[in-house]
Amino acid sequence: MYALVRDTFRESLARKIFWGFLGCSTALILFFLLALNIDLVEGAMAAVTLFGKEVDGGQLVNVQLIVHKILGVVAAFLFTAGLFLAVFASAGLIPTVFEPGRIELLLSKPVSRPRLLLGRYFGTLAVIACNMFYLVLGVWAVLGVKTHIWNLNFLLAAVLAVFAFAVLLTVVLLVAVLSSSGVLATMVAYFFLIMSVPLAQHAQLAPLFRRPWAREVVKWLYYVFPKIYDLGNMARLAMEGKGFQTWMPVWSSGVFAMVMLTAGLWFFARKDY
Amino acid sequence: MPAPIIETEGLAKHFPRFWSRRVVRAVDGISLAVQPGVAFGLLGPNGSGKTTFVKLLLASVHPTAGWARLFGRDCWEPEARRSVGYLPENHRFPTYNTGFQMLEFYAALSGMPQMERHRRAKELLELVGLAEWHDVRIGKYSKGMLQRLGLAQAMMHRPALLILDEPSDGVDPVGRRHIRDILGALRREGTTIFLNSHLLSEVELFCDEVAIISRGRVALSGPLADMTAGSGYRLRAEGVSEAARERLREKATTVAANNGFIDFQFADRESANQAIDLLREAGSQIESVARVRSTLEDVFVKTVEQAGEKP
Repeated sequence: MYALVRDTFRESLARKIFWGFLGCSTALILFFLLALNIDLVEGAMAAVTLFGKEVDGGQLVNVQLIVHKILGVVAAFLFTAGLFLAVFASAGLIPTVFEPGRIELLLSKPVSRPRLLLGRYFGTLAVIACNMFYLVLGVWAVLGVKTHIWNLNFLLAAVLAVFAFAVLLTVVLLVAVLSSSGVLATMVAYFFLIMSVPLAQHAQLAPLFRRPWAREVVKWLYYVFPKIYDLGNMARLAMEGKGFQTWMPVWSSGVFAMVMLTAGLWFFARKDY
Repeated sequence: MPAPIIETEGLAKHFPRFWSRRVVRAVDGISLAVQPGVAFGLLGPNGSGKTTFVKLLLASVHPTAGWARLFGRDCWEPEARRSVGYLPENHRFPTYNTGFQMLEFYAALSGMPQMERHRRAKELLELVGLAEWHDVRIGKYSKGMLQRLGLAQAMMHRPALLILDEPSDGVDPVGRRHIRDILGALRREGTTIFLNSHLLSEVELFCDEVAIISRGRVALSGPLADMTAGSGYRLRAEGVSEAARERLREKATTVAANNGFIDFQFADRESANQAIDLLREAGSQIESVARVRSTLEDVFVKTVEQAGEKP
């Protein structure tokens, strides 16, 4: 398994996927490090300048509030652009394994098919998780040093973002096994990512449908589909120090991921190459 | 007799065509046994099912019927493939690896310890003449170099069985000779070699046993020496009278004039001896008598034609 994970890492390095992510994350960390200046005054209040210009007209603002806002921006980045980029960049890593001339040799090794596929899955997940944690820890450290506020909940945002990616990656895996197409796998994963936004508003969305069965379908889709938007919302709440009303988005997305993963492994075990 | 290393019984793979409702019988009931230490050649025209048969052995393809065993185990058990080295046809090794990394990766999948992997990779890169290329990404390798690297990959974990699908494809004659020498050394060490090739000369030079498959079935199999042995006797004589030539024409399978000599070919020893007596009586000079062996090409073409396929 370790060899497969390492091989995925090596491929992501060669395809510049890892470096691309690292570059984006480093740019964001440097942005907060160099452009944002927070002068602490009387402990909880501070004067904030961005690129040398005063924020809020030079008025003293609550440091806690500023930190929450910045962390909120980073979390929003993780759950939108971050996930989009992650799926886009990693979707090619799984189908390459199924290329003719490559898969036959892998299958000839004394490794079971589920193990081969899981090795690739966890390798891809590790590539993205490393970058997400690097970004989050980097921003967290910069803000912690500048404000002396160490919001541990922000780290939970990284865990949730990686979890959301892990869920979407199971979709990529299943579609890649069935079609061997990275493009199709990306499209389907994006579909679930985008659908999570309107479905999260299912309580408001369902009444817009005239037919009762359509309302039921919206409701069921919400419960069946992965709740990426809701996971992002949970990350935001965590950073604001507010508790979660429910863990349902986590466990139901987890169930969805398990079903996708099991289906992917099942089809892979039965496919001819 | 030791247990066969490869054993198949009624192995079949049919690919249904949903639109035309036809079924393509790529492999159609192959039963084979390969004993340990043997160099076994699998021959057949293009599309006869050779590669599908190998894929069935290595669990890339699910059988429609029958079974295959490697080292006495069901080939679908990962453990059955532990001591198998495989070089696929049209392989596509990941180009982001260097030669060394590639060997190291596949050996790790075969369960080889790290220290041994490193040592063995260096040793094999040296053996296949790629030591200077060990840290170059394999995207820069030529076809022949990739083939040699592929062979090194198959040998990394010192497998007891090597399955090679067109191993000298794209390799120049010198490289081909080099590969043959390496395989010869492995054979002397007792490694069983299963060679899937359409290069008859390669198989003829190297293999002890051969199976010719046609339309997914075994058309002929057995020891190579038996297949090519005893197709007749050739007699070369000088000063053969027209009358003697006419008499011998009835017994000979072929008669041909060649640089002042007459070459007769006879199907069996008795006919050849009768011809010698007759020629001596007629005052002819016997230049030579030799036993003629069929070439593998003769056997292959004849077998495939009998099976109703174009070679």
